[in-house]
Amino acid sequence: MNRVLANTLTSPYPTTIQTSLESYALNVRYDPSGRFLAAGRQDGVAVIWDLDTKGQVRWLDGHVKMITSVDWSQNSRYVVTASKDWNVIIWDLASDTELPRRKATVRFDVPVVSASFHPKNSQILLVLTSFELWIVDLRSEYKGQYELAEVFDDSDEEGASQRARNGFATARFDPSGKHVFVGTTSGTLLVFNTRTKTMIARHRISGAGIIRGLVFHPSGRRLVTNSSDRVLRQFNLPVYAPPTADDEYIEQELEPTHRFHDPISKVAWHNMSYSPDGEWLAGGAADDAAHKIYIWDLAREGLLASTLDGGRELLTDVHWHPSKPSIASTTNLGSIFIWHCPTEERWGAFAGGFEEVDENIEYEEREDEFDIEDEAEIARRKMLEEEEDVDIDGMIEPATNGATNHIRPNGEDDEDTLWALDDPDDDVKGWKLKVISDDDDTMM
Amino acid sequence: MSITMDVDGDDYKPADDFSTTNDYEESPPQPPSSDGRDSVAPTALSPPPPPDSSAQTPAPVPQPKPDTPYRPNYKAHLMLSGHSRSIASVKFSPDGSMLASCAADKLVKLWDSETGDIIHTFEGHTEGVSDVAWSSNGDFLASASDDKTVRLWSMEDYTERKVLYGHTNFVFCVNFSPSSTLLASGGFDESVRVWDVSQGKTLKALPAHSDPVTAVTFNHDGTLIASCSMDGLIRIWDTESGQCLKTLADDDNPICSHIKFTPNSVFILASTQDSTIRLWKAQTSKCVKTYTGHSNRTYCISTDFAPGRKHIVSGSEDMKVYIWDLQTREIVQVLEGHRDVVLAVASHPTRPMIASAAMEKDLTIRIWIDQPMNGA
Repeated sequence: MNRVLANTLTSPYPTTIQTSLESYALNVRYDPSGRFLAAGRQDGVAVIWDLDTKGQVRWLDGHVKMITSVDWSQNSRYVVTASKDWNVIIWDLASDTELPRRKATVRFDVPVVSASFHPKNSQILLVLTSFELWIVDLRSEYKGQYELAEVFDDSDEEGASQRARNGFATARFDPSGKHVFVGTTSGTLLVFNTRTKTMIARHRISGAGIIRGLVFHPSGRRLVTNSSDRVLRQFNLPVYAPPTADDEYIEQELEPTHRFHDPISKVAWHNMSYSPDGEWLAGGAADDAAHKIYIWDLAREGLLASTLDGGRELLTDVHWHPSKPSIASTTNLGSIFIWHCPTEERWGAFAGGFEEVDENIEYEEREDEFDIEDEAEIARRKMLEEEEDVDIDGMIEPATNGATNHIRPNGEDDEDTLWALDDPDDDVKGWKLKVISDDDDTMM
Repeated sequence: MSITMDVDGDDYKPADDFSTTNDYEESPPQPPSSDGRDSVAPTALSPPPPPDSSAQTPAPVPQPKPDTPYRPNYKAHLMLSGHSRSIASVKFSPDGSMLASCAADKLVKLWDSETGDIIHTFEGHTEGVSDVAWSSNGDFLASASDDKTVRLWSMEDYTERKVLYGHTNFVFCVNFSPSSTLLASGGFDESVRVWDVSQGKTLKALPAHSDPVTAVTFNHDGTLIASCSMDGLIRIWDTESGQCLKTLADDDNPICSHIKFTPNSVFILASTQDSTIRLWKAQTSKCVKTYTGHSNRTYCISTDFAPGRKHIVSGSEDMKVYIWDLQTREIVQVLEGHRDVVLAVASHPTRPMIASAAMEKDLTIRIWIDQPMNGA
């Protein structure tokens, strides 16, 4: 909204730290609206921060060991936390109580590495444990835990030996939710169909080593991998055909369109995140001396645009705001840094009708500028101008962070989408987080 | 009630019911002419027609033409008495079930908007109360008082939840952000303060104006704050950074007494003490509509969009409530009944209901309900 009024150009990526939140946080995620931050902590608590007030608004206390991942449902009502204590908990922030109600607790028999919501239905979860990958469906009609397993060509001897050492290192839904992408310890990228749970593709990525992380471009057509060879690779994804009855899959090598790395210090990466428009990529460096975020310009061939230096607290996670040039990063000492792009105070804004100019300009007087006009004529013209109808209800803004919500590549009526939308969750737009005022009044 | 209509149907005017208040634009009866549109503009500038002009009512037209704007027909419905001094503000709760009022008698009262019964009286302020505001989910009520505090009242148990200290002079206006996490207040210390509702602490103090701040409000998504002041300026602020983004000022700088964003936040409706209400387009700093006819020279009188958002409603110092058509700027109804200056008006969020309240000699809150004329 305010961008309509602020006519100064701001940088498309953040440049300095605006706030540091003391949180003992390990990992951090903005909610899709950009109003909140969820931070997972070492002690098993997840904290919800309100970015308007920079205050902690909810304290999700349910795990007894460190939180390994946090994720938000599409309208921010639910938060899923995964922990080393073998549990996955879904929290309902629309509940009135100070400790939000648990919508579900899913227990595994090994530590959980990550858990995320299906982008279109928060009752479908993707859970990666230390050894296995599960789709957990909480809908009554489909209820169950379905394991996703890599398919090997048994006739191939190499395949048999692979099976022994292949493990899953990271797993994500793509933005449409139709596919699950999995990075393996042997440098391959597997693609599963969410509905049928069958493997539909295996992509070998040469030289990558272990694929540790995956992040999707907001369009869903590209993805960046983080791997043990300390290179971030961006790929254009092929279009996957609907799964066939005989469980065929594509075996294909993918060539990266870009490789991002630091050729001098050769740092590894903790995480990466696209800007909302997908034009910029932020990489959180696993530097052992400084808190560094690299920003690459994808519109200009992936040129390094900036390196943000956040001081001596080492970086552990990074996440880009869903609509603004703002980034949240966590440190090994538990702080959350909110990076923003400061705007200069425009003093001209304090005086009505004044316009600030950067350079002197020669003023060109309009032909009739100082003509004396009949006052009645002016008033009459003003009256006529006011005849024009005004629209006080219609929104002027196009949705700013539309990419993920509005792109419907193949329409909404294909089988996979219909399956996901069947028995929709109650994560409806417009719910409000109840404001809880703390009773101990310290202001007195 | 009858309605007259131009022969070409371009426009139609209220008739006998409103003829006693003639200080608004009204075309004198015209001979049938083909250029009805041209006749509008000059008439608006000419002095008001003599009172008898509208008394000559031609044959009543039973039904307004479908393309003519809807004309409300508000009728007095309830009269609520309880305050013992001037009532400064009334506000409907977000679900419309309750009405909150505040007055110079230091009290904030809560009424049932259906029955007019009093639900609760909040006591706590040590001086008169100038403004009340509801949080968007109806959990809290905030009140601004001359005792230099803003108080937060919980609607769960009707208790005082927080006292916000920080203003150094009378607090005059208060409003919640759409998410209800923030509260903005303004007052005679010429500042605007932004508060964290859950902590009860000041987040920002904006040196906003050079005279008392008379109104402060958030836009629909909470990213902007607008404030207006007796210095005649309307300022728009960035909520996050607290920076001033824009200043709207009229040439003559009349004291600005109340502002409100349109539902889409494109425009700001501003009342000034030159008996004028203007609709400003925020982006271009241009006044796009002017509403006149009421009387406002002394007090900060509130203005609102009437239910249905097709009309503007405002109090007036001539003890009446005025309703204008948003687009044509004509007065479409005048509500009479109050016996003193009408300071406060409020529109029901869902139903065609208006509340108004007046000063010392009246001390009533009146609830008006629209009763469509042709029994529809």
